[in-house]
Amino acid sequence: MSDQILKPDLEFTKEIIAAGGESLKKCYQCSTCTVVCDVTSDRKPFPRKEMLYAQWGLKDKLLASPDVWLCHQCSDCTAHCPRGAKPGEVLGAVRKMTIQEYSSPSFMGKMVNDSKFLLLLFAVPIIIFLFQLFIQGHLTHGIPRIPNGQLMSYSLMYPPTLYIDTVFVPVAFFAAFMFYKGLRKYWTAMSANYPAPPRKDVLTPLAETIREILKHSVFEKCGVSKDRSTAHKILFYSFVGLAITTTLAASYIYVFDYHGPYPQTNIIKWIGNVSGVAMLIGITMIVMNRFKNQEKAGTGSYFDWFFIVVVYGVGLTGMLAQILRLANIPVLGYPMYFAHLVFVFVLFAYAPYSKMAHMVYRTTAMVFAKYSNRR
Amino acid sequence: MDKKLALYICKGCSIGESIKLEKIETVSKNKMKVPVVRNHETLCGTEGIAMIKADIAAEGVNTLVLAACSGRVKYEEFDFPGCIVERVPVRELAVWSQEKTDAQQAAEDYIQMGIIKAQKGDMPEPYLMETVKDILVIGGGVAGMNAALQSANSGYKVVLVEKEASLGGFSAKLYKKIPTTLPFKEPLIVDVDLEPTIKSVESNENIKVFKSAKVEKIEGQPGQFDVTISSNGSSEVVKIGAVILAAGWKPYDATRLGHLGYGRFKNVVTQVELEEIAKKGAIARPSDGKPAKKVAFVQCAGQRDANHLPYCSAMCCAASLKQAKYVRQDPDAIAMILYKDMRTPGRTEYYYKEAQNDPGVMLTKADVSGVSEAPDGNLYVEMKDSLLGSSVKLEADLVVLATGMVPATADDPVLNLQYRQGPGLPDLELFNGFADSNFICFQYETRRTGVFAAGAVRQPMNMTEAQEDATGAALKAIQSAEHVAVGMSVHPRAWDLTFPDPMMTRCTSCKRCTEECPFGAIDEDEKGTPFFKPGRCRRCATCMGACPERIVSFKDYHVDMIGSMMKSTSIPDDEDEPRVFVICCENDAYPAIDTAALQKMKLDPAARFITLRCLGSMNLVWLADAFSRGVDGMLLMGCKFGDNYQCHFAKGSELANYRLGKVQETLDRLQLEADRVKLVEVAIDEYGKVPQMITDFVDKIKEIGPNPFKGM
Repeated sequence: MSDQILKPDLEFTKEIIAAGGESLKKCYQCSTCTVVCDVTSDRKPFPRKEMLYAQWGLKDKLLASPDVWLCHQCSDCTAHCPRGAKPGEVLGAVRKMTIQEYSSPSFMGKMVNDSKFLLLLFAVPIIIFLFQLFIQGHLTHGIPRIPNGQLMSYSLMYPPTLYIDTVFVPVAFFAAFMFYKGLRKYWTAMSANYPAPPRKDVLTPLAETIREILKHSVFEKCGVSKDRSTAHKILFYSFVGLAITTTLAASYIYVFDYHGPYPQTNIIKWIGNVSGVAMLIGITMIVMNRFKNQEKAGTGSYFDWFFIVVVYGVGLTGMLAQILRLANIPVLGYPMYFAHLVFVFVLFAYAPYSKMAHMVYRTTAMVFAKYSNRR
Repeated sequence: MDKKLALYICKGCSIGESIKLEKIETVSKNKMKVPVVRNHETLCGTEGIAMIKADIAAEGVNTLVLAACSGRVKYEEFDFPGCIVERVPVRELAVWSQEKTDAQQAAEDYIQMGIIKAQKGDMPEPYLMETVKDILVIGGGVAGMNAALQSANSGYKVVLVEKEASLGGFSAKLYKKIPTTLPFKEPLIVDVDLEPTIKSVESNENIKVFKSAKVEKIEGQPGQFDVTISSNGSSEVVKIGAVILAAGWKPYDATRLGHLGYGRFKNVVTQVELEEIAKKGAIARPSDGKPAKKVAFVQCAGQRDANHLPYCSAMCCAASLKQAKYVRQDPDAIAMILYKDMRTPGRTEYYYKEAQNDPGVMLTKADVSGVSEAPDGNLYVEMKDSLLGSSVKLEADLVVLATGMVPATADDPVLNLQYRQGPGLPDLELFNGFADSNFICFQYETRRTGVFAAGAVRQPMNMTEAQEDATGAALKAIQSAEHVAVGMSVHPRAWDLTFPDPMMTRCTSCKRCTEECPFGAIDEDEKGTPFFKPGRCRRCATCMGACPERIVSFKDYHVDMIGSMMKSTSIPDDEDEPRVFVICCENDAYPAIDTAALQKMKLDPAARFITLRCLGSMNLVWLADAFSRGVDGMLLMGCKFGDNYQCHFAKGSELANYRLGKVQETLDRLQLEADRVKLVEVAIDEYGKVPQMITDFVDKIKEIGPNPFKGM
C-alpha cells in the first residue's frame, strides 16, 4: 500500500475558522458526533473525520468530500458535543467554502459571501430594470394605463417577452452553465479523492436521490432541529410550485398566446398563490427554528442570512405586488413589482454562489455517495 | 503490670434479649477467675462509662474486657488510658449475625476468648532508643527541594543530597513550563522560575545542602540512621531520623528507538533535547540550524510498549502540548502531535483544551510506525491506523520523541541501605522500577520503614504533582521520626507501642524471620543470628508467624495467646455440627466480616472468628493446636496477594499461603484431609460475599465429615 503524503495547511484551517467554523479546534476526536448522527452512513461515518481534516487543513479531502453534503445540519452532533466543537457549524462552513471553491468565476463567489458587496450585487438588477424603464420612456412619461382604467398591469411596465425574458432567460442560462461547470469540477474532485468501485449507472442513484429529496426522508432523521424538516419541506415544495407556475406562464404566452393579467380563478393563480404563501410560511418557520435552536445549533452566518433575506424578499414583494395590483394602487404596486424583479434576479443570477447552490451540490453529493457505494 | 481484670457485658442493642448472662457471668467469675463481672443496659452511655471508671478508681481494675460491640465503633467512648481494653464484639458476631438458637454458645465462646486474650496480654512498653529527627532528602529537584522546605519550615533539620553541581533537577533544564495557575490562558508557556525555590533552600538555616554528592550508605534504623554522604572527594557521616527519596527520573534511552529515526537522523530529537534547543533561542533543526516550520511530536515513543517502557509517563502529552507552543512562537510554523491516546490527567486536561485551540497545533491519533528520509533534509513520519488514514505519512523538518520517564531506582538502589535484605527497595519490578508500593491510600510508604518516596521516582508525574507529593512525603517522614522517638510504630499500626521481643536463647538461627520480614527489619550478627531493629519494624508479626521455634512475641500478641484462645472454644458434640475457625486479618477480612454483621447478614454458626494483625503472623502450630482438639476446619481470610497485592504489610497473606503449602506435612501427621484448611483472598469491600464464602467452606467441611479427633 502506498503511503499517502498528507499536506497540512494552516491557512486553510484559518479560512474555515473565518468562514464560521471558529469552534473546530475544540474537537478532541471522541466521535460522539458520529455516534449521535442519524444521517451518516455506517461505512464512512461523519462528521468526526471531517472535523479532523478541518483541524489539519486537509483542503483536498474536505472540499472534495461527498460526506460534507450528506450532512443536513440537524445539529444533533453540535448539541451533544462534549467540547462545544459544533461539528454542524463547521460542516456548514465547509459547504459554503465548497460552493466558493467550485463556482466560477471565483470573484463572484467571494462577492456573494461578503457583505461589502451587497449593494453592488443589488445594483446590477436595479440598473438593468431602471434602464428598461428608461428605454420604454416610463421614467419620463409614466406607465400607461389599461384603457378602461380598472386594472393596472405589470406587463405594461415590463412586456414579458421583450423585457422580462430577455433578462431572465440569459440569467437562467448563465446560472445553469455555472452550475454545470462547478458540478463537473466537484464530481471530478470527488472521484479523485474518494475512489470507490462505482455502480454501473448513475441514473438509479439519481432516481433514488430524487425520491429521497421529495420525501425529505434524510431530513426527517434529525433530532435537535426536527422542525426544520417540515419548514424545509414547505419551502422546497413552494419552489416546486413556483417552478410549475413559471412553466405554465411561459406556455400560456408562447404556446397558447394567452396573455395576462389572468383572472384569480385561473389555475396558474391558484398554484402561484399557494406556493407564494407556502414560501413565506416556510422561510418564516426556518427563521423561527434558527432562533429557537441557536443555543444548540448556532445562528448561522452571513451566507445563510443572505439567502434567507433574498427568499423573503422574493416572496413578500411578489405577494404584495399582486395585492397592490388587485387593489389598483399603481403608485405602490409598480415599485413593488420592480423590487420583486430585483429580488428574483438576485435569487437566480447569484444562485451558483449563494446558499441556493446547496440544492445542486447536495443532490450531486447524494448521487455520488450512492453511485460510489458510500452508504 | 499487675493486672486486675473486669468483664463488662452490655445488654443494649438486643444483646440482653438474645443471650442469658447468668451462665456467662458465673463461668467468668468461677472458672475464668475474673474478679469483677458486671452488666449494664447501655454500657456506652454515660452511666455505663461512669460505672467502669468507678471500678478503675475504686477497685483498681486495669484490664477491661468489654463484651459489647465491635472495636470498630464506639472507640471514643471506650477509651480508658492506662488500661488494657479488650473489645469482644458480642453484638456483631454472636447476636446480629446469628440465629437466636446459636447466639448463646457464640457469646460464651467469644467472651471466653476475650478473657483469655486479656489474661495472656500485657501492657505495652515502648522500645526507646536515642533518636534524632533530622530528615535526609535524596534529590534536589522540584520534589526534593519542596520536601526539604516543607520539613525545614516545620522545624526539622534537613540534609539535602543532590548528585549534580546545582539544585533544580530536570526542571532546571526546561526552557519554559506550563503555567501553574488556573484558568490556563495565553501565554501557555511561562518561565520556570526555579530561582526563588533554589534560593530559599540554600539560604534556609535548617537545610544543609550537599551538591555533587551521593549517599554512599545508610546504616541503622529510623531515628538513628547513619548516613554516609560523599561529596567532592570527601565523605561525611550524618545521623538521620527519616529519609525522603526524591531521586527523580531520567529519560528513556532514545538510542533504542532506532525505528523512530533516533540516531539515524540528526533532526530526530527527544523532548528533553528540544528543551535544550529551545533554550538556545528559536526552534531550529540540528542538522543545519534552519528554523523548524513543521515539527512532529511522536507521543509514547517507546512507551506503553512491551519492548520498551510498558507504562505511560503521564506528563509527556502535556509536555508536547507545551513544546508545541514553543514551535508556535513562529506564527507560520505548525506542531503536529501524533498520539496513541492523549493522556492529560488532572488539570492538565484544561491545558490540553486551551493549547489545542491554536490552529497551528494539530493533533491526531496515530500509530507511528517509522521515520524515513524526505527531500531537503526533512523527514517523513509514517503512520498506521491514524485517524487521518490507515497508511499515511507526514513531512516534518523536526521530529520530537516523547521518550518517557525511567525512575532513578530502576537500575540503582540509590539508598544503599546496609540491610540484610539488600541495598534498595524490594520488589520494585512490580512497579517497573518506580519506588512505589501498593499501600492503598498511603502513597509515600515504601517497604523500608522511615523511607518515603516522593516525586517522579515514585510515579510518573509533572512538576505540580511532584510538589504536592513532596509535602505528603515530608509529613510522613516527620510522623515517622516522631513516632520512632516514642517507640511507636508507623503505618498501618501507627498507634502501636509493642515491638517484637524474641527469646533469643531459643533461636536456632534458621533465618526464616530475616528472610520473610517484609520490611527488612531483621539483620544478622557476625554469627548469623537474627538481630531485630525495632525502629524498622511495622509490627505485622510476620516473624512470629515464621518462627518454627515460636520465640517471637509481642506484649499483647503472641503464639500462646492465640493458641489458648483456640483451645478455649467450644466444640459441638453433635457430629453434624462442625466447628470452624475463621482466621482473619484485621485490616481487610475482619472489617468485611464486621460490616456484614452490622448489616445483619447471617454468618454460619459453625464459624468462630479470630483476628490476626496480619495473616503473615499465622503460625502453623495453631493448626496442630486446633485440629488436635477436634476443630473440623480452618479458613484463612487474607488480603489479595500477587502483583496487585492489597496487604497492608505487603507480603502477609502471600506468606501465609506459602506456609500453607507446607501444612500438608502437619495434616498428614495428624492423618487429616488437606481440604480442611483453606486460604481465601478478601477485600474490605467484599463484605457482601463473605457470608457465602464461609458457608461454602463449612459445607465442604460437612462433606469431608467430622474431625476424627473430635471428643478425644
